[in-house]
Amino acid sequence: MYEEPYRWVEAVGNRRQYLDDQFIQGNPLIAISYTQGILLLTVHRGTPKLYEIYDRIALGGMGHPADLEKVRFSLLDLAHVEGFQRSPLDVTASRLTKNGVAPLVKQAFEEIFRAPYIVKILLAEVGKVPGKDRIFTTNYDGLFEERSDMGVLVARPALEKILQDEWKKRVIPETLPEAFNQALQFWGLASLLQADSQDEGEESQENKREGKAFPGPLPDEEVVHRRLQETLQKETLECVLLDRTVSAMETYRVLAGEELQALLPVWFQPAP
Amino acid sequence: MGNQGDFFQLLKKQGYEFSHQGNGRSFAGSDAPPLTTGTTVLALKYQDGVLVAGDRRATAGNLVMYDRTDKVLEIDRYSVLAIAGVPATAFEMARVLEHSFKYYRRSQLQDLSFEGKLRALSTLLKNNAPAALAGTGAVVPIFAGYDFQDGAGKIFFYDILGAEFEGVDYAVSGSGSSTIRGIMFYLNQWGTGPIASYSESHALTLVLRLLTSAAEFDSATGGVNPQAKLYPVVKRITAKGVQTISVDQLKDLYAEKVVSHV
Repeated sequence: MYEEPYRWVEAVGNRRQYLDDQFIQGNPLIAISYTQGILLLTVHRGTPKLYEIYDRIALGGMGHPADLEKVRFSLLDLAHVEGFQRSPLDVTASRLTKNGVAPLVKQAFEEIFRAPYIVKILLAEVGKVPGKDRIFTTNYDGLFEERSDMGVLVARPALEKILQDEWKKRVIPETLPEAFNQALQFWGLASLLQADSQDEGEESQENKREGKAFPGPLPDEEVVHRRLQETLQKETLECVLLDRTVSAMETYRVLAGEELQALLPVWFQPAP
Repeated sequence: MGNQGDFFQLLKKQGYEFSHQGNGRSFAGSDAPPLTTGTTVLALKYQDGVLVAGDRRATAGNLVMYDRTDKVLEIDRYSVLAIAGVPATAFEMARVLEHSFKYYRRSQLQDLSFEGKLRALSTLLKNNAPAALAGTGAVVPIFAGYDFQDGAGKIFFYDILGAEFEGVDYAVSGSGSSTIRGIMFYLNQWGTGPIASYSESHALTLVLRLLTSAAEFDSATGGVNPQAKLYPVVKRITAKGVQTISVDQLKDLYAEKVVSHV
C-alpha cells in the first residue's frame, strides 16, 4: 500500500505526529557556551540524559532511553575507532553528527516498516576558545543544526527558534555559577513553554479562531522559579561541564553532590 | 549480546587486530638492521603512593637514535605504562590500552577494574609473542596504577609472553635494570628503612640516583644532562590520580642531592 507516493507521504506525516506527541512528556535539555567551557543541563526521572562521548565531546538526549542508548553506542564506536586509527583531534562533533547520528535516525524515520528512533540528540564539542565551541542538535528525522553559542532540545521545533532568539538577548556568563544560574533559568523557561505548547496543541483550533498567537508574552522570572522548584522536588537535576581550562585531554566533568548544591542560586528553595 | 565495552573486539570488527605474527625466523645473528631498543624504567612504592620513572634514550645497536623519548606513558587518570623494548610495538600497545580503558569507562559508565587493566596488557603481550620471539617486537613493560578496590598503588611487571608479576615494593625493566635491581634490593633490605617508607623527596632522590647509576654502566640508558635540560620522566600515582613531576623539581633535587655526590 505504500508504493503510492501519497500513501508514503501520509505515513511519514502520521509518524511525525506520533513522535511529536511522544516528546511532549520529555524534559528539555540546554547547552550553553561560556568563558570556561560548555555547560549542559537537564532534569531526569531516573535515567541520565547526559554522557561523555570523547575527550572534548558530550552527548545530551531527549526521548526514549533505549533509543538513546543505541545512538550513544553507535557514536562511541565511531569516535573511538576514529580516534585510535587517526588522532583524537580528528574526532569532531561535526563528523559524528553528519556521518553518525543524522543518517542513522533519518534512515529509521523514513523506513516506515521500521520503528523510528524516538530521540533528539545534542552533541557539544568544546574548543580552545568560546568562539570555537560547536553545538549540534539533531531532530528525530535527521535534520540537524549547528550553532556555537547555545543548543536546546525541546519537544516542539517552533520553540527552539523562540528560545534561541531569547538567548541572544542575554549576557554571556563569565563564571561557572553565573553560567549555571542562567542555564537553570533558561531550562525553566523552556520547560514552561513546552508545557504551554501542549495546551496550545490541544486548543490550537480554538486559538486560531480567536486570533491568539503562541506563545504570547514569555513568563516572568517568578513563574520560572516556581516551575523549577516544583520540578526539582520530583525529578533530578543533571549537569555536566566540558571544561576548556583543564590541561588534560579529557574535558568532561559531572557536576554533582556538594559542588552542584553550592551552585544552586539563593532564590532556589524547594517548595514546602 | 549487548555492547560489553570491549575495544579489542570493536577494532577486530573494523579489520584491525593487534597481533604481530613475525615470519617465524629469528633475526639473531642475521644481517637485519638493529631494532631501536635500550632503556631503564622503574617503579617503586613510597609513603604517598607509587613513583614511575624512565630514562629518555632510544638506541639501535650502538647508535643513539634519540635522547628525548618518553617511556613513561599515562594510560588513563590512574594508570601508567613504563615501556622497555621495541618502541614501535610498545607505543602501539599504549595507544590500544588508552583507548580500551576510555572506551570501557565511557560505554559501561564505570572504570575498568585494576585487575581488568592488567589482563588487557597481558592479552596484548600474548598476541605479540610471535613477533617478540622472532626478535622484531619484544616489549617488557611495567604497569603501575591506583587500585581503588584495595585503596593502594600497585606495581606489576611482565615477561615478553604476557605473564604478570606483582612488584611488591618495586620493579625494574630494560637493559640497565640489572645494575639498579641489586641496589634497590640492598636498600630495601638493609638501608635506613624499607623504600615504601620513604618521603616523596627521598624517593625522588633515589630515582635520580638509580637512573644515573644505570647510565653509568649501561650505554643504552640515557643519564641526566642538566646543560641540555634533559631529565628523566617521573610520574606520581596516588588516589588523586597521575601527576608528572616537574622538571624544576627534578632539577633542584639533582643539583642538591645527586650531582654533588657523583
